Amino acid sequence: MKIVGVAACTSGIAHTYIAREKIMKGAQKLGYEIHMETQGTIGTEDELTPEQIAEADFVLLAIDIKIGGRDRFEGKKVVEVPTNTAIKAPTKLIETIVNQLGLS
Amino acid sequence: MSTMQTNFDMGSVVTKDLITLDLQATDKLGVIEELTDLLVAHGDVSDRQGFIDDVIKREGEGFTGLGQGVAIPHGKSKAVANTTIAIGLSKHPIPWETLDGEPITVIILFAVRDTDANTLHIKLLQKVAILLSDDEFIGALHEIQSKDELIALLRKEPEGE
Repeated sequence: MKIVGVAACTSGIAHTYIAREKIMKGAQKLGYEIHMETQGTIGTEDELTPEQIAEADFVLLAIDIKIGGRDRFEGKKVVEVPTNTAIKAPTKLIETIVNQLGLS
Repeated sequence: MSTMQTNFDMGSVVTKDLITLDLQATDKLGVIEELTDLLVAHGDVSDRQGFIDDVIKREGEGFTGLGQGVAIPHGKSKAVANTTIAIGLSKHPIPWETLDGEPITVIILFAVRDTDANTLHIKLLQKVAILLSDDEFIGALHEIQSKDELIALLRKEPEGE
């Protein structure tokens, strides 16, 4: 399973980065390959490459705001949740998405 | 880790003056006020009420209680002179809106300048956020006995990816 995602919260200071780390750890725990971009107060970091997006089985957006470059995910399966959902139970979130998208 | 820099010092952001191990306040507003007073005394916040208003405004936009007894209220505000954090530990549980519905005993108040050109300070805050995603770090945070211990814990490098 290959996942790409973006994390972005309202102030771009804390939740963005906590969500990214939690999702990364959750995905790695499940043995999935994941790349997570952050769009925070200091701009975009770990920007997703077109290759990473192309190869991904789905896109996980943990966002509380409108993000930049959403058109990059056109034609992909995109799941959007608030950052807090990702922070609360990242592994369960990913498992649920994989099941609901019929990817398991 | 690709997002991190190696040449930063947490000590430039977190000092003993910005830590209290025995919060007196018993509610959320009281805690925010008590920690803001530390920031004001240290010269990091220039307008006490202005900063508190911005923190409360952010509270209205979504939970800052992460669960596991920790909350991270934050204000990106014109009232902030230096981007930094103030940390309060409480011996009694404080009611807070949290992801696990439980009260908290650790509060990390992020004070961020409205237009911060100092990327380094934002990076340090980012590092704290990353540490907070680590269950082991959260566990250690609840066992802190001294300010030195707390600063040493914050200087810990986050686990690699």
